[in-house]
Amino acid sequence: MEKKMCMGLFSGSIDRLTAAGVILSGAAAHDMEVDVFVLLMGARSFMKVNADNIDSLSESPQLKEEFLDSLKKLNVKPWQEFFKEAKELTKVRIHICGLAGKIWGGEKLEDFIGLADDICGIAEYITAAQEADLHLFI
Amino acid sequence: MEDLNNLKIAETVDARGTACPGPLLVAKKSIVNIQSGEIMEVLSSDEGTKRDIPKWAEKKGHQFLGFVDDSGYFKIYIKKK
Repeated sequence: MEKKMCMGLFSGSIDRLTAAGVILSGAAAHDMEVDVFVLLMGARSFMKVNADNIDSLSESPQLKEEFLDSLKKLNVKPWQEFFKEAKELTKVRIHICGLAGKIWGGEKLEDFIGLADDICGIAEYITAAQEADLHLFI
Repeated sequence: MEDLNNLKIAETVDARGTACPGPLLVAKKSIVNIQSGEIMEVLSSDEGTKRDIPKWAEKKGHQFLGFVDDSGYFKIYIKKK
């Protein structure tokens, strides 16, 4: 049986979204089954109105220009592409926290980018975390 | 020990110019194109790949045969399980 990974994605900044995407790629390469729970700041970045405009850093914001320039030079894909590719390669389900969505005005699944599979509550996250072989909080 | 310069290669994939996790994903996507026992060659210029792909191969049951340095890049050889 393939291993399961559960990720709590609280962060909505481009540095952490990119890191989450790279980790998801690794999980996909190993055929892991992944559940991503998009929490507060993450949910804001997953909204259609925001997703393409995320350029804030949560770590060392003064390094933003250097970071963005390096991503470009290294041909690193936009964060959404990592998530999309991982979904194509393995079973990745992306759940939006219902409360987080509402905080940013996202009431329905259609308010979020196509990567999102559903809107859920905390019980589902806790259950997935309990059942996972690996649990990350980003 | 196989002679890495005289292998029969079933598939060569070029991941040069991509950073992690590019070469790993290229390997993962491409290994489905070859049959069990056949060899895939991955070209990469990302140093981390030298450790990344062997680790992935071991986990997935494929055999890592080794790598050969070339000018500015290297070639990694994997035999499919």
